[in-house]
Amino acid sequence: MIDMDLYFWVFASMSVLAGLFTIAAKDALPSAMGLLTVFIALASLYLHLHAPLIAIFQVAIYAGAILILVVFVIMLLMTPGERMGVIQANASYRGLGVLLGLCLIGLIAVGTKGVSDIVSMKALPQGFGNPSIFGDLFFSDFLLHFEVVSVLLLVALIGGIYLCKKRL
Amino acid sequence: MDDWLVAIIKVVGIWVWVLLIAVVMTWVERRGAGLIQDRPGPNRAGPWGLFQPLADGIKLFTKEEIIPTKAQKFLYIIGPALFSLPAFSAYAVVPFGDKIILGGKEIILQVSDVNIGFLYILAIGSMAVYGVILGGWGSTNKYSILGGLRSTAQMVSYEVALGLALLAVVFVYGTFSLRDMSLAQQGTFLGFLPNWGIFKQPLGFILFIVAAYAEANRVPFDLPEAESEIVSGYHTEYGSMRLGLYLFGEYVNLVTISGVIVALYFGSWHLPYIDLGAYLGPISWGIVSFCIFFLKVSFFLWLFVWVRWTLPRFRYDQVMGLGWRGLIPLALFNIFITALFIQLTV
Repeated sequence: MIDMDLYFWVFASMSVLAGLFTIAAKDALPSAMGLLTVFIALASLYLHLHAPLIAIFQVAIYAGAILILVVFVIMLLMTPGERMGVIQANASYRGLGVLLGLCLIGLIAVGTKGVSDIVSMKALPQGFGNPSIFGDLFFSDFLLHFEVVSVLLLVALIGGIYLCKKRL
Repeated sequence: MDDWLVAIIKVVGIWVWVLLIAVVMTWVERRGAGLIQDRPGPNRAGPWGLFQPLADGIKLFTKEEIIPTKAQKFLYIIGPALFSLPAFSAYAVVPFGDKIILGGKEIILQVSDVNIGFLYILAIGSMAVYGVILGGWGSTNKYSILGGLRSTAQMVSYEVALGLALLAVVFVYGTFSLRDMSLAQQGTFLGFLPNWGIFKQPLGFILFIVAAYAEANRVPFDLPEAESEIVSGYHTEYGSMRLGLYLFGEYVNLVTISGVIVALYFGSWHLPYIDLGAYLGPISWGIVSFCIFFLKVSFFLWLFVWVRWTLPRFRYDQVMGLGWRGLIPLALFNIFITALFIQLTV
C-alpha cells in the first residue's frame, strides 16, 4: 500500500464530500459552490504533487472562468430559492447520469493501468513543474497534442458563433 | 526557526501595511472627491478629518446587523467573507522592495517569490467575484441579483483582456516571477529612457490598467453597483460591517493592483537613471527601496481616486462592447507585435 499522508486525506475527503454536496444540493447556486470547493481541493492536491502551474490553471480556468459562466447561466435562468427538484426528478436525466457515471468509471478503470508507474517511486526531474519546462514540453514532445487541442477549441469557437448568429 | 520568524514577520507586516493603506485610502477617496469638486470633504474628526476612517470603523462595527427575512442566510453571510479573503491574500506575490540584509542574512522584500507569480494574482482575483455573486444571490433582491449578474459578465470579459495584456509582459521578461521582472527593469532602455515596462509595453499598460479598473469594479466600470440604475447593486441589502467588508475589500484590491502596475510597468523600486542601491548600505537600501515602491504605488492609488471623480459611468452595453470589441483585439494585436519584435531582435 502506498504511504498516504494527512494532507492528501484532508483534501481528498474534502473534494469527495464537496462533490457529493454538488450533486445532492437542492439549490442551484450552493451546488455550484460545492463544485468550486471541489476545484479548490483538487488544486491543493496538485500543489502537493509539486505541480503549482496545474494548480493555478485549475483555479484560474475552471473556477475562475468556466464555473463563473455556469453561475452566470444559473443567475440568468433561475430565481433565488427556486428548487432543482423538477430537474432532478426527470427520469431521462437520471438515466443519462447513470450512463455517464458508468462511462467515467470505465475510463478510470482504463486509467488504472498506469498505476504501476505511480507505485514505484521516482525522483522528480530537475525543475519539475516549472512554467518554462512546461512550455518547452508543449512545443517539443507534445506539439501534436497541443495543436490538435487548439484546433479543437477553434472548432468549438466557430460552432458557438454559428449557433448564436441567426444570419451569417 | 529564523526563517519561520522572518516569514511570519513579512506576512503579518505587509498584511497590516496593506490594510493600513486601504484604511487611509477611504479617507483619501473622500478628501480627493472634495478637492476635485471644490468642497472640503470630511474635515471634522481629527486634523484634516484624518480620524474619519476610525469613526467609520466604529460606526460599522457597532451598527445593528440586519439579515433580510427572505435572504438565504448562509449565502448572505458568507458573501462578504468570500469577497475580502482573496483581496487580503492577493498581495502575497507582489514585491514591496528590493532586499534587506539583516545579520548577514539576505531577506527579499516579498512574501513569496514563487515562479508562478502573477498567475496566482489572476487566479485569486477571479475568486473575488464569487463573493459578489453570493452576496447578490443570497440577498434575494432583484437589484442585488442584477448587480451580481453584471459583475459575473464583466469579470469574465475583462479577465481575458487582462490575461492577454499580462502575457505580452511575460514575452518581454521571459518569467512569471514578479521579483525577476522587477530586477530586469534596472538601467536604461534605448540609451535614454528608464528601462521600465511601460516603455516596452505602452499599449499593454493601457490595456492592463483599463482591464484592472474593470476588474476592481471602479468607476467608470462600477456597473455592478450603479446607484442610478440598480440602487446599490450586489450590496443593496447589506449593512454594518458586512457592507464594510465589501467596501474595504475594494480598497485592498486597489492597493494590490497598484502594486502590480508598479512592479510590472513602472520599474518597481528602481529610480530612473540612478541606481541608489550602489550608494546605500544594505539596510538603508532596503528601507529606501520600500519607500520608492510605495511612493509609486501611492501615485496609482491617487490615480484611481482622480479617475473616479473625473469620469462618468459607462452604459452597460458600452462596457461589454469595449471589453470584447476594443480591448481583446487590441490585446491580441499587442501580443502579435511583441512576439514579432522579440523574434526579430533576439
